Amino acid sequence: MIENWRLFKNSSKLLSTGEGLAVDDTLAATVARHCSVPVLHLYTFRPSVIVGKYQDIEAALKLNRCREMGIEYNRRSTGGGTVIMGPEVVALGLGIRVDYPGLGSGMGRIFQSLAQVLVNALEKLGVQSRFRPKNDLEVNGRKIAGLSAASETGKSLLFHTSLLVDFDLELLTEILNTPLIKLSDKGYSCFSERLTTLRRELQDDIAVDTVLEAIEKSFEEHFGIFFQLDRPDPWEENMIRYYMKERYARREWIFSHKHPRARMGIGRVKTRAGLLEIYLSLAGGSIENLMITGDFFSTTEDISRLESALKWTSARQEKIRERLEAVWREDMIYGLDVPSLTMAIMKAKEDQVRL
Amino acid sequence: LKNCWKWFRNNDLSGAHDRAEWQRRRLWDMAMIKGYSMPDELYYNEDDCWARVEGTRVTVGMTDFFQQEAGDIVFIDLPEEEDEVEQGETCGKIQSRKWIANLVAPVSGEVVEINEDLEDNPELINEDPYGEGWILVIEAGNDLEAELGNLIHEDAVPDFLERQIKKAEEERAKLQEA
Repeated sequence: MIENWRLFKNSSKLLSTGEGLAVDDTLAATVARHCSVPVLHLYTFRPSVIVGKYQDIEAALKLNRCREMGIEYNRRSTGGGTVIMGPEVVALGLGIRVDYPGLGSGMGRIFQSLAQVLVNALEKLGVQSRFRPKNDLEVNGRKIAGLSAASETGKSLLFHTSLLVDFDLELLTEILNTPLIKLSDKGYSCFSERLTTLRRELQDDIAVDTVLEAIEKSFEEHFGIFFQLDRPDPWEENMIRYYMKERYARREWIFSHKHPRARMGIGRVKTRAGLLEIYLSLAGGSIENLMITGDFFSTTEDISRLESALKWTSARQEKIRERLEAVWREDMIYGLDVPSLTMAIMKAKEDQVRL
Repeated sequence: LKNCWKWFRNNDLSGAHDRAEWQRRRLWDMAMIKGYSMPDELYYNEDDCWARVEGTRVTVGMTDFFQQEAGDIVFIDLPEEEDEVEQGETCGKIQSRKWIANLVAPVSGEVVEINEDLEDNPELINEDPYGEGWILVIEAGNDLEAELGNLIHEDAVPDFLERQIKKAEEERAKLQEA
């Protein structure tokens, strides 16, 4: 028998960060509490910026600039880093049991199987993308979507995705507090080389509604289910109100101090390959983000591969080297080798400043 | 390996005198199943937590299976000392990649010790999940005996892990096919 999943869809109204995130948290809660079928929430936010659960919001964002520009900021309950949301960024929340058939077993495979649903959705729209471990979807080395998740009580899972239909890069450089933005004038071009959007790939003004339909269809095909358009029941309405008031409107949540120490640094090294510049953001002992730039010869795809291999991993020298060696092939960066690249990253780590 | 550990245990070598001896002993009591170590004197819940029971003190951590699946641990959000926890209750959160997983209490009682080293070095869970990567100690309540009966132990451990691995392999095959 074909199962009907529930679908909450908000395509005509832009949600506040509090409402959108509260609905998403309720999805996982209702799946756990009521053994409910999976619930998918597809929507868009007002212009806003959202940090990961254990991210230092004051280090990640220029909060004054956000306030001046009327950009909402908040903290979600899933992991990962900062995402900029808005009318042309699809937000997806999914509440599902972790042992749901076809979902995969273990974190890596769950990410991979849900990423596959999105890859198929983009293919329907004419864009060839692929899952870039650990948590991104990319098109020719440029990130188009980010994935994050959190286990909830009772074996349920909340899965989040943001998918770029269109994107305001200038806004990103205005409000993000990365080392690249803070200390360099190259922020715009660096992000432009690392991000892409559906409209850029398709050279077409594709509507957000069309993208939502492709995602729905792809979920139906992947899991062999149908969606039933639905809305929250009274218990869920209460939970949404509760999360909006007691979580997403509270300073204690938004400015939570439960996070690793945020630091950033720059490493500039002259190598045989040319000048190598590393922009590094650290969360405690882990690499939250890094960008490899300079006047060397390489491709966007190869640089993305190297950067992705290091994100959300330990910042210890032997680990960095190990991760680089695992993905390295000759002349990935022409004239450079793993020890030199490791050295440049270590230099950025040594030159770090506390945010 | 299992027999080696039993030999050591039967010959009264279970009480280590110093850390080095303890480390050596641990090498013997690691039951390796398809690349995952699962010491057979520990208790496990289905949420990948282990429990080492010494009287009423229960040391808790995450399994080798969990840390291999999760990858580098980035942050751990722990309860406070003196917090009361219930068996099956989420009492902490562990972030790896962009996933936040639950630390689910294997037994009920009062949290009496927290591994403060994890604050700066959460990767200890990756490097030494059953040793320096321990997470907290619970002073168990009166229901300890009954609660241990709800956990996976000794002969049930290989079966449990085999099931987990088999499921993971089947899913991997399905994904590759897709």
